[in-house]
Amino acid sequence: MASESSAIATGEWHPANSSRAVPAVLREEGVLLVAVEEGRTLASAVPERIEISPRVGSIPRRVRFPDGSVFETRDNDGVDGYLRVRRGPRSGLLHRLEKFHPRLILMTLAVILLATTIYRFAVPVLVEVAVLVTPPFVPDLIGSGTLASLDRTILKPSDLPEGERQAISEGFSKLAAQSKGGQGAYRLNFRDGGVIGPNAFALPDGSLILTDDLVKLANGDREMILGVLGHEIAHVEGEHSLRQLYRAAGVAALVMLIAGDVGSGVEDILTQGGALLALSYSRAAEAEADRRSVELMRAAGYDPVALARFFAVLEDKLGDHRDASILSSHPGTPQRQQDIRNYAAQSGSRLQAR
Amino acid sequence: MAVAETAPRAAAGQSFERASFTGSASEYFGIWIVNVLLTIITVGIYSAWAKVRRKRYFYGNTVILGRAFEYHATGKQIFIGRLIVIAFLIVINVGTAIFPPIGIITPIVILIALPWLIKRSLRFNARVTSYRNVRFDFVGTAGGAFVAILLGSLVAFISLGILAPLASRWTWRYIFNNLRYGDRPFSSDPALGRLYRVWLLPALIVFLGSLIFGFIAFVVIVGSATFMSESANLTDTQLTVLSIAGIYAGVFSYFILYGLAGLFYRAGVRNVAWSAAMLDGRHQLVSDLSRPRYAWIAISNVIVTVFTLGLMRPWAAVRLARYVNEHSGIRINGDPGEILSSIEASGAAISAEYMDMEGFDFGF
Repeated sequence: MASESSAIATGEWHPANSSRAVPAVLREEGVLLVAVEEGRTLASAVPERIEISPRVGSIPRRVRFPDGSVFETRDNDGVDGYLRVRRGPRSGLLHRLEKFHPRLILMTLAVILLATTIYRFAVPVLVEVAVLVTPPFVPDLIGSGTLASLDRTILKPSDLPEGERQAISEGFSKLAAQSKGGQGAYRLNFRDGGVIGPNAFALPDGSLILTDDLVKLANGDREMILGVLGHEIAHVEGEHSLRQLYRAAGVAALVMLIAGDVGSGVEDILTQGGALLALSYSRAAEAEADRRSVELMRAAGYDPVALARFFAVLEDKLGDHRDASILSSHPGTPQRQQDIRNYAAQSGSRLQAR
Repeated sequence: MAVAETAPRAAAGQSFERASFTGSASEYFGIWIVNVLLTIITVGIYSAWAKVRRKRYFYGNTVILGRAFEYHATGKQIFIGRLIVIAFLIVINVGTAIFPPIGIITPIVILIALPWLIKRSLRFNARVTSYRNVRFDFVGTAGGAFVAILLGSLVAFISLGILAPLASRWTWRYIFNNLRYGDRPFSSDPALGRLYRVWLLPALIVFLGSLIFGFIAFVVIVGSATFMSESANLTDTQLTVLSIAGIYAGVFSYFILYGLAGLFYRAGVRNVAWSAAMLDGRHQLVSDLSRPRYAWIAISNVIVTVFTLGLMRPWAAVRLARYVNEHSGIRINGDPGEILSSIEASGAAISAEYMDMEGFDFGF
């Protein structure tokens, strides 16, 4: 580039705001950068006032003159050569990083490592922050909305005798009184579960739903039912469903932010699959709720390991002998019974020692 | 609606030009992985600039008549737009904590503002796009967006998809009839009859698919019930486990059916709407995607992307862009060189370009 006038690249020149194109050459003439058509100057300016678009792959380059006219070229290397001389070897660094090169393998490994780290450490922190800043009406809205739609679709009014319901409710009140939110934070609803069978579940606003089938499964063992309800109270106390919701939403949002564009199909899977995933609790949340059930039951003066009896019945009736179930992240029932008994023994002896 | 049926014109003075995609998966992989890495390292801040590089790559490789499109938004513009959204969310959250009713009013306010946001977003995206140094523009109103997009979606939803072609017609008319290329307008009036013709197959997929899945579910449930009443220790609970598995299978097959039907419908409607669209009232746009092929590419893309934990996403994106571009084109009425040289930018798009910021990004 020592000569007075040297060609940088050939391409086409557009007058300002016009689609008309003129074949042209971009040259460096003294201190000026000019677009020339067969010796005729089309546009010229000092390089400081000229905008050159950064290189991306091998798409055409735009050189915009102050008068609004544009020189466009596919000769990326020509422009890069000029820029390296003018702006130093660091110009175009981003493009050189992006070039297909074995170095990309290292970058890919770095991305995998970082993504795993984010999933393991950053997501849980983000979830805690989100739970902290959630205004209280959000769980209320989710809870009442979910119950209303369940009532319309799957659940039917309970057929249990009034006396039975009364008795369970009384026990439940004693149990709820021992929880952090106190008795007023929970409402027990009896329903005929239909296809969901023997089940109990908690909504984030403190509504608990107990199905008739579970009461029948207990076969008169009310403490066992209370053990299950204690477990559900613990899910509400620990805001487990809100956490799970945020985890699913957070992972989806992070993937979309980091990957930029994942395609509409993967986006659907992330958002809708995430919503499905949000319905189940994590293994850790289940274990925590099991332990909390033991504490609540003991505090209310019931058998702390009544919940373990429920799992024993499940194991017996459902033939659920697996160590971990496939459909959910629940630990297998035999393991859970053992954990509950161990925890009850440990915490019991600790209480006595005091 | 017969007007929209394009009468076959004399071949003389006409030239049909297809678009193409000149990028490659290996080239885009480098851009993508650097985008991802820098986004992570900068705690998400770089994502705005990453978006610009991605868009520039795809626009810059979309070539028709020997010239590429260009994307002009800057990372700063997009970053500021995102900052405003985040600031808004923080204000709402803090506001709600202090004065709870704000939380109930906000969704209503957003819903009311949505047509305006859609309009802004379409205009932004049009104005940052150029071809041969002339920018596109979008002149649609918020009222138009309300009818074409919100009301349209509602009508399609309430009618269980039966009126979806009507909604599609509103949407595409809103988009094309308000789109400008420099001083030249686009126009489109997709015929309802043609839209229903491409609606038929996806509707059948959903209808017959539901019947078949429903029948399979019925057979499985009845079959297992009889099997269990024969075996001695049957329990209600065992049935329950089966029905829960059935619900999962049902939800899964529902996703598959609607996903497949959606892909067929999207490609079909694009063909109809584009082929009914004109530039400057004389140059006809053409789209001739094969629906099964489009659906296959989209579905296999998802599968490959998921199974490679996203690492094949660049390949998938390039593959789809290539297919879509190669099946899009324009029939120029006259000499292409002459016509494409005579277009001037119009005022609004030039003066507003640096003041605009991106709204929410709606993927149309």
